[in-house]
Amino acid sequence: MGTWGGDAPSSPDSAGAPAPRPSGGGIDLIRVGVDAVVVDHVRESIENFGERYLDRVFTRHEQESCRGSEDVRARGLAARFAAKEATIKILRPQDRSVPWRAVEVQSHPGGWCDLALSGEAARLAGAADIRGFSMSFTHEGQLAVAVVAAWRGTS
Amino acid sequence: MTDDPIRRVLDGHARLPVSAWALGDGDNLYEAGMTSHASVNVMLGLEDTFEVEFPERLLRKATFSSIASIRAAIEELIASPAT
Repeated sequence: MGTWGGDAPSSPDSAGAPAPRPSGGGIDLIRVGVDAVVVDHVRESIENFGERYLDRVFTRHEQESCRGSEDVRARGLAARFAAKEATIKILRPQDRSVPWRAVEVQSHPGGWCDLALSGEAARLAGAADIRGFSMSFTHEGQLAVAVVAAWRGTS
Repeated sequence: MTDDPIRRVLDGHARLPVSAWALGDGDNLYEAGMTSHASVNVMLGLEDTFEVEFPERLLRKATFSSIASIRAAIEELIASPAT
């Protein structure tokens, strides 16, 4: 765990506009999650299960954000699945169920993404006093990797 | 119910480095090499095979952690499909 000084990020996306810091303290990075997904595995899941796979795992927004060629879609969805899993690692659900769609990767026209949680995912984040997330993902060959960091304000 | 259909689904979708027939009922499938993404495919394959649908309350890691836990979930869904 570390404390970010200086221009600490203050919104869930790493490139978003700064928001006020919590009064009387800094921002603590409290948990980090990482996950990697093979792009071809996502492509094969789409081939095998089609809309059932897409609709069980990805929100409508996520599916629409990954429109394009078969390769573009598989790469985008693989990164989003990795981000969901990285976030679930942060939330530490133990025996709780966190549906994949309860963690949504929201894409912005500027090219960055942030996270929106709902249902049990949001409840677990609240219980852990998580105030926001920063995330990033990348591709190298067939691998999509996502890193998510959770932070909270201190008083 | 035998374990055969479950092992067939695992061999088809879990991407394990060994056949599911080499695993015991209680062996941990994640420790055996199943990824979270592969578990989604296992879930969908089980739904096709057993004509059930996993509700959100069962979408947790423990449900798919072993052949025994999968069997318990399937038996529960067959017995009470609407819950």
